[in-house]
Amino acid sequence: MERSQKSHRSRQSGPSAKKKSDTDKKKRDITEEKKQNPKAFAFNSTVKAKRLQSRASEKEQRRLHIPTIDRITGEPAPYVIVVHGPPQHYTKHNVSEVKGPITIVSGKQRRLQFVECPNDINGMIDAAKYADLALLLIDGSYGFEMETFEFLNIMQVHGFPKVMGVLTHLDKFKDVKKLKKTKQRLKHRFWTEIYDGAKLFYLSGLIHGKYVKREVHNLARFISVMKFRPLSWRTSHPYILVDRFEDVTPQDKITTNKKCDRNVTLYGYLRGCNMKKGTKVHIAGVGDYNIAGLTDLADPCPLPSAAKKKGLRDKEKLFYAPMSGLGDLLYDKYAVYVNINDHLVQYSKVGDDDTSRKGTEKDVGVDLVKSLHNTKYTVDEKLNKSSINLFSQKSYNLKEITNGDDEDHEKHDNLIEPMDELDTVGSDDESDDSAETGSRRLKNNKQTLAENKVEEEREFHEGRVRRKAVFEDESELDDQEASDEDEETENNNSNYESLSSDVEEEEEEEHDIEENMGNASKWKESLVERTISRQTTNLMQLVYGKSETKLNDSFHEDIDADVSDDDDEFFKPKSEGKKKSSKGLEGDEVNGDDSSKFTNYASMKDWKNEEIIESIRDRVVTGDWSKADQRGKAAEMDNEDGPVFGEFEDLETGEKHEGKDKGQANEGGFLEKLKEEAELQRQRNIAELEDLDEATRLDIEGYRTGTYLRLEIHNVPCEMVEHFDPFHPILVGGIGLTEENVGYMQTRFKRHRWHKKVLKNKDPIIVSIGWRRYQTLPVYAIEDANGRHRMLKYTPEHMHCLAMFWGPLAPPNTGVVAVQNLSNSQASFRITATAVVLEFNHAAKIVKKLKLVGEPCKIYKKTALIKKMFTSDLEVARFEGASIRTVSGIRGQVKKAGKIELGNKPKKKGGQPEDGIARCTFEDKILMSDIVFLRAWTQVDVPCFYNPLTTALQPRGETWRGVRTVAELRRNYNLPVPDNKDSHYKPIERPLKKFNPIVVPKSLQSALPFRSKPKETKSKKDGRAVVPEPHERDVHKLVQHLQLIRHNKLKQQKIKKQEQKKKHDAEKAKEELVTRKRQREERRDRYRTQDKLQKKMRRD
Amino acid sequence: MITRYNKPLILHRPSARVLRQNVYSGRRRIQEEDMGKISYMKLKGSQNLRQRLLLSTLSSTPILIEDIRADATWPGLLPHEVSFLRLLETVSDDCHVEINETGTKLKYKPGIVMGGRYLEHDCGLSRSIGYFLEPLIVLGLFGKKPLSIKLKGITNDSKDPSVDTFRSTTLPLLKRFGVPSEGLELKIESRGVAPKGGGEVTLSVPIIHNSLKAVTWTDEGMVKRIRGISFSTRVSVQFENTMIHAARGIFNRLLPDVHIFTDHKAGAQAGNSPGYGISLVAETTSGCFISVDTTISYPKGNDDMDIDEKKELMPPEEVGEEIASLLLGEIEQGGVIDSTHQGLLFLLCALCPQDVSKVRVGKLVPYGIQTLRNIRDFLGVKFVIKPEPATGTVMLKCIGCGLKNLSRKLS
Repeated sequence: MERSQKSHRSRQSGPSAKKKSDTDKKKRDITEEKKQNPKAFAFNSTVKAKRLQSRASEKEQRRLHIPTIDRITGEPAPYVIVVHGPPQHYTKHNVSEVKGPITIVSGKQRRLQFVECPNDINGMIDAAKYADLALLLIDGSYGFEMETFEFLNIMQVHGFPKVMGVLTHLDKFKDVKKLKKTKQRLKHRFWTEIYDGAKLFYLSGLIHGKYVKREVHNLARFISVMKFRPLSWRTSHPYILVDRFEDVTPQDKITTNKKCDRNVTLYGYLRGCNMKKGTKVHIAGVGDYNIAGLTDLADPCPLPSAAKKKGLRDKEKLFYAPMSGLGDLLYDKYAVYVNINDHLVQYSKVGDDDTSRKGTEKDVGVDLVKSLHNTKYTVDEKLNKSSINLFSQKSYNLKEITNGDDEDHEKHDNLIEPMDELDTVGSDDESDDSAETGSRRLKNNKQTLAENKVEEEREFHEGRVRRKAVFEDESELDDQEASDEDEETENNNSNYESLSSDVEEEEEEEHDIEENMGNASKWKESLVERTISRQTTNLMQLVYGKSETKLNDSFHEDIDADVSDDDDEFFKPKSEGKKKSSKGLEGDEVNGDDSSKFTNYASMKDWKNEEIIESIRDRVVTGDWSKADQRGKAAEMDNEDGPVFGEFEDLETGEKHEGKDKGQANEGGFLEKLKEEAELQRQRNIAELEDLDEATRLDIEGYRTGTYLRLEIHNVPCEMVEHFDPFHPILVGGIGLTEENVGYMQTRFKRHRWHKKVLKNKDPIIVSIGWRRYQTLPVYAIEDANGRHRMLKYTPEHMHCLAMFWGPLAPPNTGVVAVQNLSNSQASFRITATAVVLEFNHAAKIVKKLKLVGEPCKIYKKTALIKKMFTSDLEVARFEGASIRTVSGIRGQVKKAGKIELGNKPKKKGGQPEDGIARCTFEDKILMSDIVFLRAWTQVDVPCFYNPLTTALQPRGETWRGVRTVAELRRNYNLPVPDNKDSHYKPIERPLKKFNPIVVPKSLQSALPFRSKPKETKSKKDGRAVVPEPHERDVHKLVQHLQLIRHNKLKQQKIKKQEQKKKHDAEKAKEELVTRKRQREERRDRYRTQDKLQKKMRRD
Repeated sequence: MITRYNKPLILHRPSARVLRQNVYSGRRRIQEEDMGKISYMKLKGSQNLRQRLLLSTLSSTPILIEDIRADATWPGLLPHEVSFLRLLETVSDDCHVEINETGTKLKYKPGIVMGGRYLEHDCGLSRSIGYFLEPLIVLGLFGKKPLSIKLKGITNDSKDPSVDTFRSTTLPLLKRFGVPSEGLELKIESRGVAPKGGGEVTLSVPIIHNSLKAVTWTDEGMVKRIRGISFSTRVSVQFENTMIHAARGIFNRLLPDVHIFTDHKAGAQAGNSPGYGISLVAETTSGCFISVDTTISYPKGNDDMDIDEKKELMPPEEVGEEIASLLLGEIEQGGVIDSTHQGLLFLLCALCPQDVSKVRVGKLVPYGIQTLRNIRDFLGVKFVIKPEPATGTVMLKCIGCGLKNLSRKLS
C-alpha cells in the first residue's frame, strides 16, 4: 500500500483525458456546436410532457428511502470486506496464508477487516451475513463462475451489502481486442446482476506472485472512501465476527474426558447494534448459547486518534490477524496483551475459582511473571480509564465493595469451618469494624448536621472494609489493587502494615478515616451533588433490588434508613411503598393486590385552606408564569447535565430548543421532516447517554458497537474446538426477543429460476433465516381467491407460492435462502429458492381437497341411503350437514347415519349389518345408477421438524448430511416410484345405456289434450306391398333415366372445370415467377443506385 | 384452552437437562438444553399477574407461576384473574393455559395476539372493566389485526381506573407514543357499578405497523383547564349536581376554566345497581392529562338485604371535595402523568425502539415500581431513575427494547 512519491501526470489520451476535456469545456461554458434543429427535440405534445414529468418524479421517489436513526455512537467497528474468490495480495505485509479475519487500519476514521470467503455454500451463506463489502474476484480468462452468482443471490436475500467486482487474470489475454470484448461482456453481465454502472475493477495479473501495485492501490482507495448502508436485519441484531478463538476448558477436565463439553472464548468487534448482558447468541453452525461471560477489551487495532495529520503515518498502519498466525511482531504483542487479560479475568472471579487455581500447582516464576503482567495491564487499564469521571469510579468501587462484603458475609456464615489464621483475624476485625461503624455513624449523625456527610462517611467505611477483604483474599492481587488506585496507594500500604501487625486499634482506624476524609474532601467539590447522585443509585437499587449488587441485609437496611433520613418529607411515602414492595419480593407480598390505582388518603391535604391552595398556585395558569417557567427550566437543566442546582444559564438547553425550533420551521417536505426527526432523536440519544456513568450506561444500553468483546461460552461440544478451522470464520449473532421460540412460519417462496427442478412438497430443504441455517420440511401452498391456503404438490414453475415450515421464528420481512444440496462437487446452481417471511403462526392452516365417493343402496322418495362413502357411523356423524351432489347435478345433504331397520338389513346370510351408511336427502329423487360425492377440504399438517446445520462440528471438508429427499431415498434403496393402478389414465369405455320406452298410464292419457296424447303412428313397414300400374311403372322408369343422365352430365362438367382450373393455375404460377424475378431485378437496381447516390453524397 | 385438571400435575419435571438456575430475588428461570422443549420463566405469587401475563405475551416468554395465594383462605386464582386468562385466549391464538386443581399454580404459554372484530368478553363482577382494559390496550397494539371487543361488567369502581378516565387520559397517552388515533376508541354503551354490574363498553385498538415512537416528555406545564364527567345510575341526578358543586367549590379558587359534565343514565343503560361517581382530568399547557376518579356504590355481599338496611353511602358533597383534593394532590406532585398511569407509561417507554425515552413522574408508586421490575425481568430494560429534589419529581429514562409488531402480516 505504499504510495510512491511520483508527481501526478495527467492523462494525455484515453477516456479519462476525454472526460477531463469535456468537463473543462463545460466549465469554460463552451457548448457543443449548435444543433441543426433545436425545435425538433422540444415537447410537442402535452401528454408526452406530462408523461416525462411523471417518469422523472417517479424516478426521484424511487431513489428515496425512509431515513433510519443511526444508533451507532462512538467509533464504528471495522468494516468487513469479504473477498470471494482466490486469495488476494493486498497489504504491504506479506500474508503467506490468509487465515481468518485480518484487521487493518486504512485511514484516520476507518478500519477494515478482510475475510476470505470459504468456498463451500455454508461458508458463503455466513459470509453474506457479515459482509459490509464483498469483493467478487472473477477470473477474467475463465468468466463468471457459479459460486459468484450463488454468492450474489445469497447476499441479495440477506440484505444487499456493497458489492464490487474485481476482474483478474487479464494478462492471460494476448489479443487486445479480445480482452476488450471480454471486459465489455463481463461488465454487462455483472451489471444486469447488480445494477447498471456497478463498479467492476480490473486487475491485470500477478507479477512475482503479487498484483500490480498501482492497481491494488486504486482498489484500496476505492474501498477506503466507500459508504456503507445500514441493513435492517443487522442494525437490529448485534453480531460478532470472531477473529480470535480460544479453548479455556480446565486442562484436567480434558485429560479426564477428551470428549467433554468445552468452554470457549470468542473475540471480536461488536457490530450491528448494542449488546446487552444476558442476550442469547447463535453461533453459526453450532447452535444457541447463553453467554457465560462478556467483557470488553482494549481495542487491539485502535484508530489513530492522535493529532490532526494529513494521511496516515506508516507506524499507525496497524495490522491485526491473530488467526493468520504469521510471525508478526505486532501480532505477538497483541497476543501477549490479550493473554494477560485472560489471566486477569480468571483472577478477579469469585473465591472458589481462585482456590481451584491455587490448587493446581504452579511455578513461582510463572506467578511472578503473571503478577508482572497484571501490573502492566492494570496500568494500561488505568490509562484507558483515566477519562472516567468521578461518579463512575465511585460506582466501580462500590461494586468491589459489595463483592468484598459478600465474601465477608460468607465467612461469617462458615465460621465453623477451619480457616487460616489471617482470615479469622480479618473476619473478626471485620465484625468489630462493622459494629463500630454503626456506632460511629450514630455519633457522626449527631455531630454533623448535614446528612450528606453521613453518606460520605458510610461509603467511606465500606471503602475500608473492601480493602481488607481484598487483602485477606490474596496477597498477589494487592499489587494490582495498589496500582488500580494510585491516589490511595499509601493508604493501602498503611493498611497492610496495620493488619500484618495484628489486630488494629480503634485509634488507628479513626486516624485512617480522618486521613481519608481529607482525601475525600479534596475530590469532592459539591457534597450536594454527591448526595443526589447517591440518591439516584439508591433509587435504582431500591427499584431493582439487590440481585445485582448482592448487598448483605444489614447494608440494605442501612440504605433504607438513610433514604428515609435523607429526603425528609418528600421521599417518605415513596420509600415506604418501596420498602413494602421490596420486602414483598421476599415473599410476604407476592400475593399483593393487583391494582394500578394508588390513592394515599393519609397524605391528603385540606385543600380548602387558602395557604395550601397558594402552594400550587404556580402550577396552574392563573399563577406566576415566570416562576413556572423557571421551574421547568431548572428541571430541564437537571436532566441535561446531572443534578446541578443553580441559577446560571444552561447553554445546552438553549441550543436544543433552537434545534427543535429549526425542525419545525423547516417545512421542506415529508422526507425532510422525517430526516430531521431521526437526526434529532439521535442527538437526544447521545446527549442522554453521555451523562451516565460507565456502569449504569452498560446496564441501560449494553456494550456499544465497535467495542472489542470477549465472549465466554460454556458447554459447547468438543467438536467445535476439534474441527475449528481459521479458514471458516465464526459468526456469532444475537437473538432477539421472540427469535428463540419455534413455530410455523409462512413465507412467500419462489423457486430460483436457475434451479433445474420444481420442489416437491415436504421434501427437506435447508433454509438460512436470520443468523440460522437449518433443515426443514416445507409444505407448499397457494392462496385461493377466498383466502384459503390450498396445498400444492409441487412448487409452481415460475410463480411465487407460499411455503409453510416449522423452525425457530424470524420476524416478518426476513429474507430466506433455500438450498437443497450442499456438496461442492455439484456443478449446477445450488440455490434452490428464495423467500421472504410473511408472518408466523402457531397453527398452520393449509388444506387439501378431499372427495368422498359413494353410491345409493336404497332410494326412497327424495331420501336415499348412501353406502361406501363413509367407513363408520362415527365418520358419518362428523360429516352431518355436509353438502353432497350426484354426478347429474342433484344436490343434497348428509343427515345422519342410517338405521339398521331401514333398508340396511343384515344380509340374509352375512349377519353383520354394514357400518357407515348415511341417510341423505336430495332436492330430487336420485337413481340407483347415480354416483354421489362429497367435496370437502382437509387440513394438512406441517411436519414439526427442523434440524440445525451443525457444520462447525464436523470436518469442514465433509458434506453435512441431513434428511434425504424422497428421490434420494428411492435412488439409494433402489425403490421404484409407487404406481397406483387407479391413477392410470385409460380410455373411457361407456356401455351404451338402454332406456325403456316411456309408458304413459291410461288414466293420464285420457286426461291429456289430443296434441300430447300418444298417437298411433303408422310405421313405414306396413307389411303390405305396393303394386304400381304399368303406366306408372313407365313414368317412374323414365324419370329415373332422366335423372341418371343429368347426374352424369354434371359429373363430366365438374371434371372438365377442374382440369381447366389446374391448367390456369399452372400458367399463373409461371407468370408469377417471371414477375417476381423482374421485380427483384428492379429492386436491386434501385437500391444500388440509391446506395451509390448516398455514398456519393456522403463523400461530398 | 383453560384446563382445570383434577389430579395435580407435575408441572416441571426435574431433569438432568437443567443447565443453570438463575435465582433472583423474585424470579427463577430455568433453561433447558434442547431448544424444542419449552423453558418456563418461574415466578411466584399472584402479584402483578396481569402485567406478567401481558409481558409474557409481548416477549413470548412462557411463564410458570407458583404459590398463588397458597396460604390464603381462598387459595388460588380469583374469578377476575381467570376471566383475564380467558380474555387472553379470546384475543390470542394458540395460547395455552394450565391451572392446577387448587388454582395455585399457573402455566402460561403465550400465543400470537390475533385481534379481530366483534369479540366479546364477560369480565365478571369481581373487578371492574378497567382491570381488563389496562393490559388489553397494550396487547391490542401488537396484534395481527385491529382489535375491537365488547367488554361487559362493572364500568366504574373505586379500585381500578374508570372507563371515563380511560377515555380522557389513557387514550391520549397512547397517542403520545405514535399510536394512530383513528381506530383508537372506547365507547361506553351502558354503565354498571358494583355489585351487579351490567355495564358494557366497546374498545377498539388499532395495531401499530412497526413499533412505537420514543418520547421525551418532561415538561408537565401548567394546568390550564379542568374537565370532568360525573355519572349516576339508578339514583337521582341530584347526586351528580351536588358532587360537581362541591368539587367546583375547591377548584374555583385556583382557576375558572372548570367544566364537569353530567351523565345521568336511566333504564337499560344504567346497569343493575345504584351508584354514582366522578372522574376529573386536568389538562396542562403542554398537553399532559392528570386524572383521578372515584365511584360510590354498595359493597358486595349484602345485596340480599333490603335497601333500607344497607349502609349509608358516602354523601356526594364529601365525594366531590375528596376527589377535587385528590386531583390537586396529583397536580402538586408534578410529573407528566398521574400516579395511576405510571405503570402504563413505563411499559410503553420500555416497548419503544432502541432510542432514549425520558419521562418525568411524581412520586413513584408501588405499582410503578413493580412494573419497572417486571420490565427488567421480561424485557431486560432498566431505567435510570433520578430524583429531582428541586421540583419533587422523579426523572426516568430508558432505552427501549425495540419490540416490533411481529405478529403483523407482511402485505
